[in-house]
Amino acid sequence: MTAFALAWRTARRYRARAVLAVVGVAVIGALNFDMLMLSRGLLLSFATMINSTGYDIRVAGASTLPLSRSPLTDATTLMNEVAALPEVDAVALIRTAGAVLAAPGRPPEGAELIGSTDPAGLGIWKQATGGDLTSAPNGATASAVISRPLAVRLGLSAGSTISVRVRIVDSLSAMPPVTLRVAGIAEFPFESQQASIVATTMDGFKAAYGGVLNDEASFMFARSRPPAGAEAAADAINRLRTDIHAFSNEQVIANFGRNAFTYFRQISVVLSATTAAFSMLLVATLLTVSVNQRLGEVAALRALGISRRRIASTLLWEAALLVGIGGVLALPLGELLATVLDKILRRMPGLPSGLHFFIFERNALVLHAAVLAVTAVVAAMYPVWLAVHLPIAQTLRQEVS
Amino acid sequence: MSGSGDVVVAQALSRVFPMAAGPVTAVREVSLRVDRGDYIAIGGPSGCGKSTLLHLLGCVDTPSSGTVRFEGRDVGALSDSERGKIRLTRIGFVFQRFFLLPMLTAWENIELPQSEAGVPAAERRARTRELLEYVGLSARAEHLPSQLSGGEMQRVAVARALANRPALLLADEPTGELDEATGDHIAALFDRVHADGTAIVLVTHNASLAARAKTRRAMRSGVLE
Repeated sequence: MTAFALAWRTARRYRARAVLAVVGVAVIGALNFDMLMLSRGLLLSFATMINSTGYDIRVAGASTLPLSRSPLTDATTLMNEVAALPEVDAVALIRTAGAVLAAPGRPPEGAELIGSTDPAGLGIWKQATGGDLTSAPNGATASAVISRPLAVRLGLSAGSTISVRVRIVDSLSAMPPVTLRVAGIAEFPFESQQASIVATTMDGFKAAYGGVLNDEASFMFARSRPPAGAEAAADAINRLRTDIHAFSNEQVIANFGRNAFTYFRQISVVLSATTAAFSMLLVATLLTVSVNQRLGEVAALRALGISRRRIASTLLWEAALLVGIGGVLALPLGELLATVLDKILRRMPGLPSGLHFFIFERNALVLHAAVLAVTAVVAAMYPVWLAVHLPIAQTLRQEVS
Repeated sequence: MSGSGDVVVAQALSRVFPMAAGPVTAVREVSLRVDRGDYIAIGGPSGCGKSTLLHLLGCVDTPSSGTVRFEGRDVGALSDSERGKIRLTRIGFVFQRFFLLPMLTAWENIELPQSEAGVPAAERRARTRELLEYVGLSARAEHLPSQLSGGEMQRVAVARALANRPALLLADEPTGELDEATGDHIAALFDRVHADGTAIVLVTHNASLAARAKTRRAMRSGVLE
């Protein structure tokens, strides 16, 4: 009979203890698995968001922070220069402004107005229903794509018209309202879940400013042309002007990994280590109690010539079985817990709607397995030591007396 | 192995246990020779050192002084794993409390020492079947210890002790947990084991079991009389 078979039989024989250990490891393992998913979840989620925009370069005013909105001056010229670069395939300018929506019979509602030169809205929104900004404008009325919460709140759908008035920063006065025709409803992953967003063409944006607008942009997207690659294209853009800074998506993500998400990683490492320690203590305690209950058996086995190695490997297998089964059960439990926690955390105000805290990745699974394997070995160390070093004769005497 | 008929030879064996209240001498200057055809019963009051002597002869304990030679080899000079090998292949142990593994069937308990000794599976099966028949438990092969009576458990324990065809069978109060009738069955089983050529040393309070041995010795205060 192999050590594994003996361990399996032992676990089955002492079922209550085994179930207790498995459930304990499953619960603690689920927390550990969640911590591992949390440690890189935000970064992976952010990377997914930024990589699904259709653009791989982001250009802003000279700044060390890739996602800052320090404005780009002389934006149209810059766009044309960037578009002319052989390393660049496509460019889009984005402008943002605070606005107020005026609907008949309703109080004015604050919204963010976005102007984009990309009528498909790549990088800004994902079309849900209706058309994009290429839908033919009705005479002088520009098209708009609006966020779903806004559509629900105001009962808007494709074909509706909205009245938008731009707010002038640091001023009580406001521009006269412009009418925009709703072409479609979209998800804006970089904006908060409940945000009221109105995206329109640059012409529509300019019209909201009364037709007079300086040539600035909040930021610019660019898509590299193969085979140049994003880094080379970003370098080429950076060489155009000194007052701008272009970052490839990878650079943006790396920057975030180094700065913004470090806290989550550190918290996760601490919590993960703590949960692993709890798991180890639980299994070690149960195995130690179990060995103490079976000292007579172990001493008799040693007296019969069963080697220390076999006894040690049986206990190791027992720990591996308890931790292994618990660890496997921890996966669906952890996934379920992560879904609930993610839902709660994503209710934080101002959080981009496309951002998630817990993301499953293969590395998390590998790390989870590695942590559990180490836990099983460490947990078995003391009971194994106890079993293989017990004085045979003395233990047999004590068992009889 | 020695060239003579000696299985185990103990010379001037002493075993002293250090205690908080002062050292206790459990076995004092004991010399004993066990030959292949021997069947020795050691009696004596509780705490006189019988079990300690048995443990020393069975290589599970080391003497404070004196020597034990098992089939010619000085046990004191052997490593722990070498002593383990001797216990596995040359010595069989029967305990008062049986110490069968509760999660294994009778068959599996008997098979375990053979599997540890690396006996091939087919040979193991044949030997286990033979031993179960020998102790009269063929019909109980698949039963767990919890499904067996005390006498049956002790018969399985005897079969387990004989699994690797030992030269010496050591039994520590083998009928201590059994009623008189069941004890007699176990005693008859020891008679058979001895008749089949295995040397036996047992310690017991059971007078009728001791009476069946070829040699009866008594211990008092660690001294073998």
